[in-house]
Order: sequence, then C-alpha cells, then structure tokens
Amino acid sequence: MQREYQRVHQHVKVYEVFARKARPEPLRQIGSVVAPDADLAAAYARATYDEERWVEMKIVPKEAITTLWAPGEEVAE
Amino acid sequence: MASANPAFDRLMKKGELIETVGEMTPEYLKELKHTLLVSGDTELISAPAYYLAAQRAPSINAFMTGIAIIQDELAHAHIAYHILEELGEDQEKLIFSRDPKSFRYPYAFDVPLETWTELIVANAMYDQAGFCLLGDIHEQCSYGPWKRGLNKVMLEENFHLRNGRTWCKRMSQAGGESREELQSAVDWMFPLTIEWFGLPDSMKMHSTQLDYRLKGKTNDQLRQWWMSLVVPYMEEIGVAVPAHMEVADGQETWVLDYPFPCTFDPEAKRWDFRDPCTWDDVMLRWRARGPRNAEMIQLFQEEFHNFRKSHAGA
Repeated sequence: MQREYQRVHQHVKVYEVFARKARPEPLRQIGSVVAPDADLAAAYARATYDEERWVEMKIVPKEAITTLWAPGEEVAE
Repeated sequence: MASANPAFDRLMKKGELIETVGEMTPEYLKELKHTLLVSGDTELISAPAYYLAAQRAPSINAFMTGIAIIQDELAHAHIAYHILEELGEDQEKLIFSRDPKSFRYPYAFDVPLETWTELIVANAMYDQAGFCLLGDIHEQCSYGPWKRGLNKVMLEENFHLRNGRTWCKRMSQAGGESREELQSAVDWMFPLTIEWFGLPDSMKMHSTQLDYRLKGKTNDQLRQWWMSLVVPYMEEIGVAVPAHMEVADGQETWVLDYPFPCTFDPEAKRWDFRDPCTWDDVMLRWRARGPRNAEMIQLFQEEFHNFRKSHAGA
C-alpha cells in the first residue's frame, strides 16, 4: 500500500536507499528518503546517509519494489 | 501481560523484533510513537541550539566541524520522524505546525549555548547523554526499523563526542582564561545533563517502555552509565565535576556531591546547591520551557511558512 506524504512539494514519494562499504559486500538497504523526483531523492540520500565512504549507493522508488513475502505481512495467494 | 494480539505476545515473549503495525497492540504503537517523538524532537532541536553557538567558532575549520555535526543531527531527526510518518503521523505538521511548548526535547536545550566553549561541552555531555539513551535503544529496541536506523546514529554520535572531548582537553591544557571558561560551562551544564535522565527510579513506579523493550535501562541506570563515562574523563583532564565514586558491597556507584534535584536560575545559568527542591518544582520549570524554546522553534518554522506562502499554488 502506498502512503500519501505531505510535503511542500505537491507530489512526493519514498525512495529506498541501498549502499555497500566495500567490494566484497552485498548491497543492503540503509535507509529511505522522501522526495518529489529522483534527482532530489539522490541529493537527499547523499546528504543524509554520509556516515560511511560507500563504494556504491543506489536509490529505488519504493513503489517499484514487489514484495514476495515479509515479516508480519500476509503471504500473497 | 497478555494482550488481545497473540502474534504480538509471541514476538515479545521470544525477544523477537516487531516489524509492522499489524504486529503491534494499540498500546505498543502509542508508546513507540511517544518514544520516537522525544528522540526526533531532541535531535531536531540540537540543530538550532548548536547552530546559534557554532557561529562563535574560533576558526573556519572549527565552524565546519560544528556544521557537520548539525547536519548529522538533522539526519538523525529525519530517521525518527520518517518512522513516525510510516506509522501514520504527518511529518510536516510535527515539525512545522506544532506549538513550540509541545516539543518533547530535554529542558537543557532551552538554556542558550552562547559560546564555542559551551558548544563543545554540549558535545562532551549532551551528546554523551544522547549516546547512552540511543545506545540503549539500539541494543534493546523491539521495533526493527528503528533498531536498524540507529546504526548510523550511533556511528555519528561517537564523532560528536570525540569532538567535544578533544576540545575540552585542549582548553583545559591551555590553562588561564580558557580553562576557567571551560570550568564555568561544566559547572552549569553537568547538573543539567544529570536531570536529562528524568525522575529517579524510586519515584517512577512503572515503565511501559521497559515492558515493551523500547529501552533496556532505567533512568537511574542510564544516569549511572553517563556518570561513569563523563566523571573519570573530566577528572583526567583536570576539570572539576560535582560527583564521585563510592564502592558499597563490591558495587561501584556514582554519587552526586549536591542535593538532587535543586534550584536552577536559567537566566544566570547558575545552580543553587544550598537550595534543594522537589521533582514537582523541576516539572514546573520543564513544562514552562526555558529561555530559548520559542526562538529555536521559530528559526525553522518561520522560514517554512514563508516558503509556503511564496510558493502557494506552485
């Protein structure tokens, strides 16, 4: 279910932020940002999650992610 | 502590993490939101509080460190408020449309930090308090998204703390006026941080936060932990603090050298150790908020509403 987010900008969505610290590591979700478009979301992600020298960082609109199963959620039939 | 939600009871009993609202009881959700709000408000208010003092930095490098710390604090606030948002709250309303007095951060931030010295003592003492409170939550918290979100926060609080300690040491070693200024900042800020941890366990009958594993340590345990980190360090660098360690039954306990609680004059930034008061008096002072409450909230609320107006209909 997609939530509505109230921001100064009219239409915003959640982007999940993925990163890894070193080449042998897998990419993992480190947080999320709310922004009107991918450019601003990238800027927010870079500024907010600067705690490490990541070798890779990617953002994905949350709505583009399909959940197969997750803890606490009903399994899709 | 059986609830109407067997899934919730099972997860709690197993020491498992809660991941979705569906797994919570309404009481758990309420307590979680309250804990997150206190945390978000505290991180957020540290930004204007530190900013107003960082402007007095002695060098460009020092100023940039101050600004980097403020940026971290805003990111930490974002983490707490975004979780609140995922739990159904409106982040913009929480930050920009709430009455200044209803923010839930510790009273300490309402007393103005007016010099670089006071800022670095805040890094050494207030951020140490934040480190203890959040470190405990990071370790114990039963809500998965917050526990994971705190990984970043803990890393960065460590950096703030180091900045505070390095500067305290430098100023103490410099001696003279610099040392005196450091000592007088510590004199009013130490007891203010002691208060930060709230009512003593003997007066706090019951903690729902502990029941729900939203935290793991009691107020007094947190206060003791904080003193065990701050007192030896301050003594080591030659700064006097009004507390000492006592050993009773093989157990180390940190004991305050003044009546707790006692009266504080926020305008003069002065404690009266000869004038003990009650916790009711402290609560009254807290609820009235301190000198800088409205000014700090206005600092970010005003700009937001100006922006809103100038971009109306855009």
